[in-house]
Amino acid sequence: MRGRLLIVLIAAAALLSGIQLYAHHSFAATYFEDKQQTVEGDLVQFMFRNPHSFIHVEAKDEKGEVVRWAIEWGGGGQLGRQGVTRETLKAGDHVIIVGNPGRNPEDHRLRMIRLKRTNGEPFTWGTRPGETFD
Amino acid sequence: MFAVLLLVCVFAAGAPAFAQVDFTGEWAPRFYEDQPERVAGPELGDYLGLPITDAARMRADTWNAAIQTLPEWQCRPHSADYIWRGPSNLHIWKEVDPVTREITAFHAEWLRSVDNIYYLDGRPHPSPSAAHTWGGFATAKWEGNMLTVTVTHLKEGYVRRNGVPRSDLATVTEHWIRHGNWLTVVTIVNDPVYLSEPFIRSTDYELDEHQLVPPYPCDVVEEVDRPKGVVPSFLPDSNPSLHDFAAARNLPFEATRGGAETMYPEYRKKLAAMPKSDKK
Repeated sequence: MRGRLLIVLIAAAALLSGIQLYAHHSFAATYFEDKQQTVEGDLVQFMFRNPHSFIHVEAKDEKGEVVRWAIEWGGGGQLGRQGVTRETLKAGDHVIIVGNPGRNPEDHRLRMIRLKRTNGEPFTWGTRPGETFD
Repeated sequence: MFAVLLLVCVFAAGAPAFAQVDFTGEWAPRFYEDQPERVAGPELGDYLGLPITDAARMRADTWNAAIQTLPEWQCRPHSADYIWRGPSNLHIWKEVDPVTREITAFHAEWLRSVDNIYYLDGRPHPSPSAAHTWGGFATAKWEGNMLTVTVTHLKEGYVRRNGVPRSDLATVTEHWIRHGNWLTVVTIVNDPVYLSEPFIRSTDYELDEHQLVPPYPCDVVEEVDRPKGVVPSFLPDSNPSLHDFAAARNLPFEATRGGAETMYPEYRKKLAAMPKSDKK
């Protein structure tokens, strides 16, 4: 309940302040927002950019074949204000990502909800208030 | 008598030559209307309240949001009619004739937009064959304290971000109305291809001098790994998501299909008699 209240308060503050929002495409039209999927694998590319950043991760599917996943993240400006830079992640990072699956299964695409790096310097995103994107 | 004339002269000297409201400044969007649609985004198959034609419905039904990962879509700005609805801050500035001191043009710029120019110098719209752009060609005139804008020469765009199109033959009328620190802009879209009636929306902004539209470089990359030449789309009657909105909202599917009648209050009576969506 407290968590929900916090989210409502953050949303209200964003609406009433001059915070820049970046909505580009419709997330509801692009992803199943009521579903979550976890992908664990090695990061092969981090594109820190506008309108949205993308992380590509190679992970094995249920048949054992390597699949390249595209995980959509916030725009460069928005992530920058959350402390994320283009140097935050690099190829070779082993990551566990939870996201909303895309509506096109063949695209192997997620909308980022949470990320955790399990090798090298610890890094997480999506677990603290404000770590969201639009 | 002399004193009265003097007073009249004093007041007249301080007044603009014409009714010219100053719209310049930094404006922040306020989402008191349609926040879920304008920020998070509309759901697939939600055409409620849109006066769309069958052609528009077919385009939207076969639209696949994944198309926006293609290179030519990634950095595409919103068109002049939709950009008002975007979540970005707005910067408006003006050009003034150095001799007459009349405003000859306003410019509007949002995050990730082009420079939208609204000419007040009486120039005509170009030939229909002239270039169509995201900002279109816009002229404006004063109607009292309201600025009325006419936009033509728009590239094809959308009226809702779930694939409902707006054609490049559309004409957009805008009414800019300022109430103190509030700006209300009414947009009226007339589209002979995809709308059967004018589509009217209003959007509000609040003056906020503590902001600037920031830089917004946009890079085209390979967002999704897919075979070359693939253009995401659905064949007619093959989009699996069209019933989701109706089912989630417990609405009759027919109502979600839109059309002019869904804009009007009388539609409630018809709505009450319809079966709810049976697909989950």
